[in-house]
Amino acid sequence: MFERFTEGARGVVEGAVAHAERGGADKVEAGHLLLALLDARGTKGAFALSALGVRPEAVVSGLEEARRRGGVSAADAEALAGLGIDVGAIVSRVEEAHGEGALAHGRPRGRRLWAGSGHRPFTREAKTVLEQSLRVALARKEKSIGDEHLLLAMAARPGVVRDVLAGCGVTFDALERVLGNGNGNGGAAKAG
Amino acid sequence: MTEATDLAERAGDRDPRVGLRAVAALRRLLEQLEAVQVRSARNQGWSWQEIAAELGVSRQAVHKKHGR
Repeated sequence: MFERFTEGARGVVEGAVAHAERGGADKVEAGHLLLALLDARGTKGAFALSALGVRPEAVVSGLEEARRRGGVSAADAEALAGLGIDVGAIVSRVEEAHGEGALAHGRPRGRRLWAGSGHRPFTREAKTVLEQSLRVALARKEKSIGDEHLLLAMAARPGVVRDVLAGCGVTFDALERVLGNGNGNGGAAKAG
Repeated sequence: MTEATDLAERAGDRDPRVGLRAVAALRRLLEQLEAVQVRSARNQGWSWQEIAAELGVSRQAVHKKHGR
């Protein structure tokens, strides 16, 4: 599958590993793939994000907020509020007792198996994004997998990353509008 | 319209998608809450056995999940 990745898509995968490393995460998460996509220049993924008017800071803070809430997106928090669960209140109480960002870290720092080592596994969610990108490319009858397929894959699967993107106006439909909906079907990307 | 406000409006309609989303999110939050509490207990010198007893699971299960 990876041999079908374009240079841009490979750059995103490598960039995600670097983001995970910098953030001190023991695994490469789907959010790291999205952060790496924001760094892309001159790719179709970068084109789609700018065509939809995405502000990178909004994506970064959306991811950061979800992380601080223990993996709960803004849309998740709304759904939980419907059950009478105030996620904000839970987060503040836990942080009062256990320190800022307490819910953002799954395991004790400094004792991680992968800490400091060069190898970081991808989470199941991140792997799903990579697999889905292949399916998206096939469905669009496109032979190689570019970073725009990674972006479409993120917008296609339920999860924090999709919610953060949707909060910034990036839905699967919106992406198809700017990228076209498959080979030969136009879209602003081809027209431009 | 953002997805969040859209959801808030539909929450009253008993839309299964909202309920299922809430359950999935709660599960993730629960996992993080458990990690925070186990970490805190360990920092205060609790044994894996004591932590397991409070959580109602086996010592092996809690150690496998949170150990190291």
